[in-house]
Amino acid sequence: MSGIVPTVPREGLRGVYFDGQSAAAQEVRLVMDEGAGQLVLHGEVVDVAWRLEDVRLVPDQAGQGGLVLRSATDPAARLLTAHRELAESFPARHRRVAEIEAGRILRWALAAVASVALIVFVLVPTMANQLARFVPPEGEKALGDATLAQIRGALNENSEMGIRICVQPDGVLAFKSMADTLSASVDLPVPLTVTVLDHAMVNAFALPGGHIVFMRGLLDTAESAEEVAAVFAHEMGHVVSRDPTRHALRSAGSIGVLGLLFGDFAGGALVLFLTEQLIEAHYSQGAEAAADVFAYDVLAKAGIPPSALGAMFERFRAETGDAEGITAHFLSHPSLGTRIEAARAATPEGFEARPILSEADWVALKGICGKKP
Amino acid sequence: MSDFPETGPWHRRDTDVIPTQYRQVDPEPLDGDFVGDRGRVFELAVKTGILTVLTLGIYRFWMKTRLRRFYWSAVRFGGAPAEYLGDPLEKLLGFLFAVVILAFYIGVVNLVLMFLSYSFFQDNFVAYLLSFVGVVPLWFYARYRARRYVLARTRWRGIRFGLEPGAWGYAARAIGYWFVTIISAGLLWPLMTFRLEKYRTDRTWYGDCRLEQEGRWTMLYPAMRYVLLAALAGGVTLLAGLNGAPAFLIATAFCVPWFAYGIAYYRARSFEILTNTKRAGDVVFLSKPRPMRVFGIYLFGTMTSSLLSSLFLVPIGLALVAAVGALVGAEGAAGMSIDAVTSGTLTTIGILSYFVFFLAWAALTHTFITLPLWAHFTETLTVIDPGSLGTIRQRPRDEFEEAEGFAEALDVGAAI
Repeated sequence: MSGIVPTVPREGLRGVYFDGQSAAAQEVRLVMDEGAGQLVLHGEVVDVAWRLEDVRLVPDQAGQGGLVLRSATDPAARLLTAHRELAESFPARHRRVAEIEAGRILRWALAAVASVALIVFVLVPTMANQLARFVPPEGEKALGDATLAQIRGALNENSEMGIRICVQPDGVLAFKSMADTLSASVDLPVPLTVTVLDHAMVNAFALPGGHIVFMRGLLDTAESAEEVAAVFAHEMGHVVSRDPTRHALRSAGSIGVLGLLFGDFAGGALVLFLTEQLIEAHYSQGAEAAADVFAYDVLAKAGIPPSALGAMFERFRAETGDAEGITAHFLSHPSLGTRIEAARAATPEGFEARPILSEADWVALKGICGKKP
Repeated sequence: MSDFPETGPWHRRDTDVIPTQYRQVDPEPLDGDFVGDRGRVFELAVKTGILTVLTLGIYRFWMKTRLRRFYWSAVRFGGAPAEYLGDPLEKLLGFLFAVVILAFYIGVVNLVLMFLSYSFFQDNFVAYLLSFVGVVPLWFYARYRARRYVLARTRWRGIRFGLEPGAWGYAARAIGYWFVTIISAGLLWPLMTFRLEKYRTDRTWYGDCRLEQEGRWTMLYPAMRYVLLAALAGGVTLLAGLNGAPAFLIATAFCVPWFAYGIAYYRARSFEILTNTKRAGDVVFLSKPRPMRVFGIYLFGTMTSSLLSSLFLVPIGLALVAAVGALVGAEGAAGMSIDAVTSGTLTTIGILSYFVFFLAWAALTHTFITLPLWAHFTETLTVIDPGSLGTIRQRPRDEFEEAEGFAEALDVGAAI
């Protein structure tokens, strides 16, 4: 290596100075003038004095064989020297040289947060709500079919087909009879497609295009046909208000925006996922409450006491426990306790209940997956 | 084309443009040297990586700045280190600026695309495709802007580099050349490499001195030799192997590492050819990277990094096995009943080892790939100054407040 930084100090202190005006390297002598508190540089055409408290080490240097120095008052001039022991003479050598105003950063930060919030919480949901109404039925159906296939695949990665759909003929007929009774009083935007998945999870959900999906676990846990019907009515509420379609459109918009914010730092995808959940929960709580109210009405018209929904929630709570506080915010549903009370309150005094299914149909429905309950 | 390609670049001297006092009899070679060591870059990458995770990504602007300061200061020509002067707050500001603009674009455009896609095609593929296509010009635009920012914050011997504006022109050309490269099945790759490099180099300044890319695109074909030969040999033996002579398939298997070597060879040789045909006024360059060494760094670096960082995935694997075991156990009983405490512990272990894996991967690739590559390309490069370097004057500061915000927001991959 042909170094211009002298490495062996023989007499006096030497260095190389770049004045920041030309690329010419100037050999200089360094004089520490402790009395005047100055570092003086003398060269052929150089005569510079830096106050000791202005001298800074240029940070994060890879080279450990010398010093790269600058003055806080001169953005461009640099001094290279092999005399590492000089560093001790500069009291503020590690202090940052501020080059950007904090106020500007703060203003831009606020503008960015405000505009992202506006887009994610106002613009995207409003557009999703408006556009969801205009998606043609075939489009919604396709969206629902694609999502159902994804869910089946995600729940069972070992099989190419995903988890099994339960199709015992008697059970299917029983479900159809339940669907007919419940939808008699409702003007559905799309025909319903009911699917039962062979999985132990206690859950049911609606997908775009009139899909209502039950997990076997929910049928196993339910103790009467009315409890299943109550969940059914609740999911019909989502179908009628096209919540799943909105949800799909909204995530298409908001996931991209959040991806921008968190970018690609180690494991950013995880933070992204959690944030997305948080935002979704924020919307779905309103949608869930509306679907509950819708269900009370449908249930009452079909002769089922709305408190059946409450009974089903009791079982959820027994299975999984209720989430409160911070955790509740990450879940898409309002606290179960609140919903149980609301369901009880929606049942008028002296309600006359009619059974929704015969005893035989109820047994068939529970056995739709071909397993003994 | 250079006037003296056979006799070496340092013979090209137009002494008439050098003021008399700077004329030298012999050009001064400024040898490249790289003084950064692996231990320190590993330490810096781990430290800044942890801070980045703890601050939910905010510290990444400081991480990037500090790593660049380190790399830049390790590069020395004639003993004088380069310096990176980017400010983390400036990067944060540029990022926020880009977010304001891109959030609108990405949020609204993706939503409308998804709507149109399902309304007219009953599928989301079209939406993903259009969304991707829409971002492509922006991606090249961001890359050029990021380069402009980085060059504007790079100094050597106290003098700033600079890149002229021209990001949209770059994006248009990049898309065009990528298109011809793809439809020519990669045969026109050298055309793309050369023309894009020329577009960037001819707009690059060192102080008041403009850089120039000389030569023609066809001069890169010799660098493609092993890629082309391996692809040809691989194709022929594969055909022969499938048509009744299975022994040829063994030869096909050997063509895969050969092809990989060909890519490293292209990387090293194209850098060498392009650098040796660059000029900054009278200053010329002599680069002699060794393709085998570049290949070795990639091979050894990738193997070491993936092996060591995957050790941190073992806890995730164990947590998954435990979770599946618990689920299967619960199937037999009534419903699901994983112990809440166990599942919490498993989740924590999973998340922790997930972050540690990414941290380790980033730090190890710095240590075993990025740093050795920088070291090799720097140590095999010489700047040949016929005496005109001292006449180069400073250029004004390019404020460029957007910094590399778009590149940061779009995750445009940069070396570091």
